[in-house]
Amino acid sequence: MPASPPNCGSPDHNLHRRKFLQGLSAGAVSSMSWGGLFGAPAFAEIAKRKQKHCILLWLCGGPSQFETWDPKPGMSTGGPFKSIPTNVPGTHFSELLPKCASIADKLAIVRSMKTTAKEHTEGINLLQRGHSPRPPFTRPTIGSVLAQQLGQLESKIPNFILLDPCPEGNEFKGFKAGNWAGWLGADYSPVRVGGEFQIPDAHKLDSITEDDHEAREALRKFFSKKYENDRKSAAASSWNATFERVNGLMSCAHLFDLERIPQADRDRYGPGAFGQHALLARTLVEEGAPFVMVANGMPWDSHVFNHEIYQMVVPDLDNIIFQLTKDLEDRGMLEDTLVVAMGEFGRSPWINQARGRDHYPNAWSLAMAGGGVQGGALVGATDKYGAEVTEDPFNEENLFATIFSALGIDPHSEFDIPGFPTFHHVENKAAPISQILS
Amino acid sequence: MNPLTLKKGKEIDLPSHVLDLTLGPDKKLYASCLDGGVYEVSTAFKIISDSYKEIARHDNFASGINWSASQNTLISAGYGGDLKWIDPKEKKETRSVKAHNFWSWQSRISPDGKLVATTTGQYLCGGYEYEPAPETEPSVKVFDVATGELRHSFPHIPPVQSVAFSNNGKLLAAGNLMGEVILWDLEQDGKEIARIKTPDFTGWGIIKGHYYTGGVFALHFAPDDKSLYLAGMGSTTDPAAGNGKQLWQNFTWHDGIKKSSSAVKGEIGEGLMETLAFHPSGKFFVMAGRIFKGDWNAALFDHESGSRLHHQNVGFRISASAFTPDGKTLFLAGGKNQGNPAEERKWGRIVIYKVVS
Repeated sequence: MPASPPNCGSPDHNLHRRKFLQGLSAGAVSSMSWGGLFGAPAFAEIAKRKQKHCILLWLCGGPSQFETWDPKPGMSTGGPFKSIPTNVPGTHFSELLPKCASIADKLAIVRSMKTTAKEHTEGINLLQRGHSPRPPFTRPTIGSVLAQQLGQLESKIPNFILLDPCPEGNEFKGFKAGNWAGWLGADYSPVRVGGEFQIPDAHKLDSITEDDHEAREALRKFFSKKYENDRKSAAASSWNATFERVNGLMSCAHLFDLERIPQADRDRYGPGAFGQHALLARTLVEEGAPFVMVANGMPWDSHVFNHEIYQMVVPDLDNIIFQLTKDLEDRGMLEDTLVVAMGEFGRSPWINQARGRDHYPNAWSLAMAGGGVQGGALVGATDKYGAEVTEDPFNEENLFATIFSALGIDPHSEFDIPGFPTFHHVENKAAPISQILS
Repeated sequence: MNPLTLKKGKEIDLPSHVLDLTLGPDKKLYASCLDGGVYEVSTAFKIISDSYKEIARHDNFASGINWSASQNTLISAGYGGDLKWIDPKEKKETRSVKAHNFWSWQSRISPDGKLVATTTGQYLCGGYEYEPAPETEPSVKVFDVATGELRHSFPHIPPVQSVAFSNNGKLLAAGNLMGEVILWDLEQDGKEIARIKTPDFTGWGIIKGHYYTGGVFALHFAPDDKSLYLAGMGSTTDPAAGNGKQLWQNFTWHDGIKKSSSAVKGEIGEGLMETLAFHPSGKFFVMAGRIFKGDWNAALFDHESGSRLHHQNVGFRISASAFTPDGKTLFLAGGKNQGNPAEERKWGRIVIYKVVS
């Protein structure tokens, strides 16, 4: 198996690339201009140099807060699962999360998310982009923004990786086919891998020598850049980005092979697709990937059989968060890696006629761990039924401001998108959830 | 036979969804509910303000209620994995037995009232495609009603959602998520005598995610104990919709496993079927549950031909059913939407039907 190519991590790569992109037309889609490069807050640059990472465990469909982080045992809305104490005095999780309960001092929990989107497409867009739509402009997803902010364009490993072995997922399927990178452009769209999605044709032909391969690539790059510059072509820019990505994938395709990971590690993460891909995410972050999103279809959308489904999916998540947090800590990476576990909304306090829970944006929970957040923090509260937020309501803008702040990115800085209206990474000067920032 | 119909009588509200019901002494009805309560329910046709009275409480969902006439006791079961013996006259608990570490999915009393069977099992991820992990405790247990002692433990693949005694009390059957039903001979010290496997009741999510749903939710031996009815929901690829076919199948095992009959296409809609009960005549049975698509969620089927005799939409999801011994009355129980919890609405339902033929 070929060794992983070295990743020097030098910001010089960014510089040269950006200098080149600056030569593009006004319609080109770099998010940071030449001036912006030096105008950006100093700590964002420091964060880049330190190579911050983010793993998003995307619990698509909308996980129930009652069976995870905000249990209401004994209440008519509580369901059949009890709560258990954690290693943080006074904090209780669902009994389906015993492993997370043992590391609650490393987790930050928000119980007071209050958003507005009630349907999946609307909710996924809101919680992936951090803002409601403003046509005709398409705001980039969190992954694309972090890829741009934390990644390096010359990196041999993709800056935005989406691991999702489930090709379907109704609304999520539609979202996956859409525009992830928005105004940041193709450079920052995800490379999707997992399950049925292997990386095809990512290996160099044996009939071509390494020198020949590199020479061909250099020639292609020279002419295509010249064409791109001469014609000021956004299409050529997009093609070049694709080639860059393919070139990178050829170098790192082996990193996506689950079989290369020691069996003992694979056993710890559990046999399910979600666990295996969360483990893969850890190894990709170890190799330098700035942002990896792990999804698994939409299993959290429990309109039917809520308790019957959650008896399985929550213990799976429990183990995944536990293993991921412990592994990152053991490798000295937890401080620089933010782990976020959330979906697009929560689930209704009441049980429907199918003994399921329906979509519920009014009061829901999420969890974070690692870089930039304070372990053991518990923020916000809901009423006794879990129906309404009673303390510290936060919306998607507060959440995005928190994620950016935790990763050393100024949440209120502007995107540098010539020809566009002014857009900020987080609009309305929304404040981060300061109680969980370390 | 004249055309069968069901004539609706009284509809009774209970605090929460009714998971099981049984006829007890003096023609009284007992219900176990999602709020943990076990209730004595008045079946008088006149409308009275207080139709139910709590007689016991589990600290989790009360999933089962059974009446042993020979031992003069009710036995309820709960999602706490416990069984409770209840004196119906005194309306108090007389014994509690911890049967499982997880839910009691379903419990049933033997025809002679001497044994009570209960099933358990948590669905945990056991493979890349989320096939169930092996059991961590015996999934099927049988207790002595008189003493509360464990008489049999049987292994199965969890979760085991349904259980039934044969009419002669010699056989026990239990069905699981994966559509696997095991039959044991209790007179041969619990020897396994048959294993029915059908993929028709289990869905594997493609639309929403890769995991299994459904399973065998109800079992009932035919009156002659020569075949076994399975009920549940047909396979679906969208587990969040619950849109599989309303399904029953009848299997024989004496000459190899054979499916002898099943619900007829064109007579069934879509939705989970949770209960199947035979009329005392043995000529027909009721299957009921939830309606997702179609025009009924309770129907009477002819045992001999398998054809549907009567059907109707009851208006709420049904989880339990029972005929009176004289066959003149049918009870269907379940619940509506819970609604806003602050309103503390009563959302459990029992409806009483006259069986008219």
